Amino acid sequence: MNILIVEDEALLALELESELETAGHTIVGQAMSSAQAKKLADQSRPEFAFVDIHLLDGPSGIDVGRHLAGLGIPYVFVTGNLKRIPEDFAGALGAIEKPYTMNGLQHALGFIERFVSGAKSDPIPPSLVPAPRIKNETRVSCAG
Amino acid sequence: MTETESSRQDARDAGDRLLAEHVSEDPFAAAFKATRMPMIITDPHQPDNPIIFSNRAFSELTGYSQEELVGRNCRLLQGPGSEPQVIQRIRQAIQNEESIACDVLNYRKDGSPFWNALFISPVRDSGGTVRYFFASQLDFTDVKDKQMELAKARSSAEDEVARRTRDLSEALEARTLLVHEVDHRVKNNLLTIASILKLQARITGDPTVRRTLMTVLERVEALSIVQRKLFTTDDVTRFDIADFATELVTDMVGALGREDIHLTFDVSPVLVPAIKASPFALIINELVGDAVRRGLKDGGGTIRIEVKRLNGHFLLCVADSMEPMPVNQEEQEFSRLILDACARQVKATIERSQEGSDTVVRVTAPVEVYDEGEHH
Repeated sequence: MNILIVEDEALLALELESELETAGHTIVGQAMSSAQAKKLADQSRPEFAFVDIHLLDGPSGIDVGRHLAGLGIPYVFVTGNLKRIPEDFAGALGAIEKPYTMNGLQHALGFIERFVSGAKSDPIPPSLVPAPRIKNETRVSCAG
Repeated sequence: MTETESSRQDARDAGDRLLAEHVSEDPFAAAFKATRMPMIITDPHQPDNPIIFSNRAFSELTGYSQEELVGRNCRLLQGPGSEPQVIQRIRQAIQNEESIACDVLNYRKDGSPFWNALFISPVRDSGGTVRYFFASQLDFTDVKDKQMELAKARSSAEDEVARRTRDLSEALEARTLLVHEVDHRVKNNLLTIASILKLQARITGDPTVRRTLMTVLERVEALSIVQRKLFTTDDVTRFDIADFATELVTDMVGALGREDIHLTFDVSPVLVPAIKASPFALIINELVGDAVRRGLKDGGGTIRIEVKRLNGHFLLCVADSMEPMPVNQEEQEFSRLILDACARQVKATIERSQEGSDTVVRVTAPVEVYDEGEHH
């Protein structure tokens, strides 16, 4: 997948990029502020995005998320403060809570890859806090 | 004789006539004069409704002699502190020929104020016409002072409570902000430490260095999960070992994507104090990591995790069907060192046994009794 990383901590962004590239993905851009993130999303039209909530210009990740959802780009939040996420998850599939572990991230990534490509019957890994609609979708397909 | 003098003479005459209607030994008049209750009688048929009679108690209360009082309207008792609304009510009642009871601030001849519980009532003749007004007074300055003192004390106590409440909520808000800020930094730092280890492990060409960095990473990450789980629950002083073990093992095995490693769980919530969370997390990490590593080499197997409370003790059991493999001596010794140190801290006992083809490790430790029913 072509992936956009929105994260204001350079080291965390760098390591996340390495991790995603190792898993066979391409990083189309890294943004540290909401303005930069929206611009990159418009220009490069990624297939997926990882979005931190606290960026250089404040807690603007939610806003970035809504922009991505508007463009039809699936994404997850990556944050240390799940309480900031609105009830509808701003269109996100879910959230990976910081500090995530390498195993947790890989496990979540595997689920995301399969989910985005249409396989919705996988159990949700503990490292991914799913948005309510994702929880329902996977439950429905599990039951079916 | 001036006009005032003449009208005061009229008032005196009216008082005399009133007395003359009663024989000198009239018990009612005698009672009126002698009672300790200050009383006056006024005549509304004379201009300005003057006092035509007052008793001794009234003179004692106000400092005016009967001579000075007769012929004057009783507004002579009013002063700067008398409430205009109350005066207006009294005036209205007299005009309407109704009785009235009210509290009014009055002044003595010497100018000193007193609180007067005033009662005024019209006195009608047999035809129903108002002949006189009767007024009794009661000095309740002491009571009023106490009331005002009480009200003042209550008001200042309320102010103090409001101030303290404001201080406390501000302090609480500051504390909450601080806790969130510190939590955010700790989480970011833990993830940054992990990122540095991962980056270096990725870059190095030396498999031993890489392997070492990864084992350090695993332990740092075990502590990261603790930090995350402590602040996810509402009660940051309790930590659920079962929840931790389930997540750690599920993600560890889930990330491998190896369908030949199977997990089975037999867990129920076991809460421990937050201070014991880290050593327990490291113990679980060492035991589970060991089983998973052996499973990786061996071509799969089953790992069974059991977490439960047992007679005031906590039991953690990690059993696996991986075949025992030759291990890196140094790594195993280091792992034992961590295990033993953590076990000592939480007074845990670790027993290893071989049950058939299974390797079983049982950890028991005394833990405080919490109501775990509410947790899930």
